[in-house]
Amino acid sequence: MLIEHRSLPWIHRFAHISGLALLTAAAIAAPAAGETCLSPYIKGLRQPEKVLYLWSLPAEAGKGRDALLVIDTNIASSTYGRVIRRVEVGSAGNEAHHMGYTDDRRRIWAASLNSNRFFIFDVSDPMQPKLARTLDDVVKTTGMTGPHTPYAIPGRMLVSMASGKDGTGPGGLAEFTDDGEFVASYPTPDHTYEQVIKPEFNKMLTSSWMSQKMFMTPMSKWDPSDFSDTIQVWDFKARKITQQLKGDKVMLAVRWALKPGANYGFSISNGGNSIWRFQMQPDGQFTLTKAADLPGCAPGDLRQSPDDKFVYVSCIAGAQIQAWDISDPEHIKLHDTIQGVVQPNMMHVTYDGKRLYFTNSTLTSVDFSRRYQLTLIQIGPDGRMKQDPNFGIDFSKLAGGGIRPHDMLLN
Amino acid sequence: MRRALIAAACLGVLAPARAEEGISTSPTPRLNVIRKAADFELLDTHRERLRLSSLRGRVVLLSFIFTTCSSACPIVSSRIAGLRQDLKSRGLVPDKVQLLSVTVDPLRDDPQALAGYAEGFQDDASWRFLREEPARLAPVLASYGEWVRPAEGTLDHPARVYLIDGRGRVREIYSLEFFSRAQALIDIATLLAEKG
Repeated sequence: MLIEHRSLPWIHRFAHISGLALLTAAAIAAPAAGETCLSPYIKGLRQPEKVLYLWSLPAEAGKGRDALLVIDTNIASSTYGRVIRRVEVGSAGNEAHHMGYTDDRRRIWAASLNSNRFFIFDVSDPMQPKLARTLDDVVKTTGMTGPHTPYAIPGRMLVSMASGKDGTGPGGLAEFTDDGEFVASYPTPDHTYEQVIKPEFNKMLTSSWMSQKMFMTPMSKWDPSDFSDTIQVWDFKARKITQQLKGDKVMLAVRWALKPGANYGFSISNGGNSIWRFQMQPDGQFTLTKAADLPGCAPGDLRQSPDDKFVYVSCIAGAQIQAWDISDPEHIKLHDTIQGVVQPNMMHVTYDGKRLYFTNSTLTSVDFSRRYQLTLIQIGPDGRMKQDPNFGIDFSKLAGGGIRPHDMLLN
Repeated sequence: MRRALIAAACLGVLAPARAEEGISTSPTPRLNVIRKAADFELLDTHRERLRLSSLRGRVVLLSFIFTTCSSACPIVSSRIAGLRQDLKSRGLVPDKVQLLSVTVDPLRDDPQALAGYAEGFQDDASWRFLREEPARLAPVLASYGEWVRPAEGTLDHPARVYLIDGRGRVREIYSLEFFSRAQALIDIATLLAEKG
């Protein structure tokens, strides 16, 4: 190939390279199966998952250490469906919650809602994660508390922070290098929950929930006046808020449609029991409208299929996983439901859209059942869901102590 | 920010909201100091040594590529080629801006191969393609978080481009996949407008 290249005049070679670039750009732009609900800057998994990482906290609050569990999801493996490794973080009471890959998938940042720590795991050997660094001084460096979602941008992590330095008041976003050096903080007027970026539009959206002091208080004592109900629209490159959208109480997960150029997406309101649709208008301004009511649901998570046909909603109070047909985004329809699952919360859809894992611990202050589990749902070509009887972990029987399972990543 | 806007306008780089690659741009980028850019000394395709710190005073765009790459590298190289044209037409290269591409595959990208690749992009003083023997190159790659592993008959490596200011500090890291020539031009103009 090299000799062939060298035999061509440079202009032909450049044209060849440029042509290849165009073809490759087209390939990148084309809709393709790929892991959903991750930062678009992350190398998405495009093959069956071999392991599932689970960020967990002790079943008995404060008794035992938070840990990253490694679960075998390779169906050909003799240890399929079992916990094969437990990487403890050396401290308790962190309220392990969400985590995210760095853009190169070499590290996982795991956030602790209560202790304001970040645990950085090296997963360069996917089967042997190691705790590489713990950031203990997050409040001092960022001026904020309640770290929620670590989200990859090139060479850095952007983390949503629920509140100000004393656990009350508005929070924002904090930016770090991949290895944990603080770069900058960006305040928001609300309690930031999660951020999603659409690079081609240079737009970032951040949703909002409640302050750290509130979510660490037993749910029966929550004060609704502390709840945020907004989504902020940002000029991502400028790290500047350009528009505020009003939804309903406690706007949690936000998902952009995945098709190239798709200018819409969905969010859920936990306090308002509803699905919301946001849409960018030709002038770059956004609208936010209610797309569906979810009576009795208390939605905890929102996930999407790789083909933009379905979103999945976990109903913490409603004991259901719901699949919504979003083929016509302005008229979404309930497509299928799995009933009788106890307090389902976090979900993760596989790269091919055929499997959905879910866990069932929300927060120490919210959990009402101690039947902590990891469950797998198989999704058929027609979008119908079926619980997989051959996969499932009961965490109350875990060697080394029971755990509460929350966020998951696949590798 | 106002100074950056004025500078960008003077340099004629205020791109339309939707840039040529279909990626929207921001006229007022926030370019934080991310970290100190690790210094290195590598060989260019003319066997001349280049030390990064010798480029102080200039804005540097540093990419990591390999010549047999058929995915993201050709895209970013062709976009950088376009960016170089933009910079040339404004008289900014090589005196104010330096483009550098470092191979992550020094075994296959021997001096001859890299020179052939560089020739394809009409390399000149404004865009230098760099390499070193593997043992000497490895710490340079590591200092920019560049690891390399075989993947499906080719190589996998972090798809990043670094923007370094005149004081040797990393001010932006781009994803190859979303690298926008128009945004890079605005970012460079913003850095050039900074004082000190």
